[in-house]
Amino acid sequence: MALILLAGCGGSGEDGIDVSLRVVAPDNNIRLEGAECAGARPFEHVHAGAGYALEDTQGEVLTEGELPAGIAENADPSIDWGVERIPTVCVMALSLEDVPERGAYLLQLDEGPPIEFDAQLVSDTEPLQLIVP
Amino acid sequence: MRPHVQRAVLLTLLALLLALSACGGEDEQTYGGAEALPGPLPSGVEFEEPPAGGVPAPDFTAELLDGSEVTASDLWGDRPVVVVFTASWCEACKEQHARVAETVAEHEGVALLAVVPGDDAEAAREYAAELEVDHPVAVADDRVWLDWAAREPPVVVLVAPGGTVLRGWPGGVEPAVLADQLDALAPAQ
Repeated sequence: MALILLAGCGGSGEDGIDVSLRVVAPDNNIRLEGAECAGARPFEHVHAGAGYALEDTQGEVLTEGELPAGIAENADPSIDWGVERIPTVCVMALSLEDVPERGAYLLQLDEGPPIEFDAQLVSDTEPLQLIVP
Repeated sequence: MRPHVQRAVLLTLLALLLALSACGGEDEQTYGGAEALPGPLPSGVEFEEPPAGGVPAPDFTAELLDGSEVTASDLWGDRPVVVVFTASWCEACKEQHARVAETVAEHEGVALLAVVPGDDAEAAREYAAELEVDHPVAVADDRVWLDWAAREPPVVVLVAPGGTVLRGWPGGVEPAVLADQLDALAPAQ
């Protein structure tokens, strides 16, 4: 009985969800599409190894970690630039598992204001895109 | 062997091991410091005059990884300088930095100066040790990066003797391209 009671104390009792995010530094920097990247100025704080925290709106940290390296994506796919090096944005993929369910979340990077998003926007199939302000 | 003799032998061996490991501490060097600054230009080495005009390289003074200071214009006074903007967290920079260093090493008298962000000094020491850099590494604040229009590492810039910017390569440069540029400045055979 004591073991059962102790085991019950270990969990938070909360259900977790998986959250897939695309963190976009909209820097329009000239790069090769698909190249490894970090945020160009003024987004220089968005780079591999920089810290992030996912918080709820009360400020409780639900999960935290370090950003991966980004991948350069065409800043405007509607344009055929006609050259190898093109205006790009730097996109970092975050896959957060078993995040406690909340109505809304805040992604806080090492610098800059938090990026708030509603839990209803989180999808099982498509990562949610967050633009770094 | 008697127990007290065994203990004495073991203690002696332990003392020897400790003494040897203490000697290893001398290997702990700081890469990218003042010791890596280039000496005087070797006698007989001269460089071609750079083309007229051009943009003056923005001068700056910054700390090296060992805490000493470097002034960039002191380097490019009489020789070409390749400036590499890099960062410890930039994986793509490591290969670029190493390849540029190899190319510069093949050109006598040319200097290489690496520049890392102002908040990157601690990690940059590990980065410099990993690459075993044999050139100075400056820790420069945002102002320097802005002056050089270095928006994202790696950026490679070639400065001619006297301080004129000859070429800049955001995202890095192929070694053969850099070598061609340096060959054009190299002393006539």
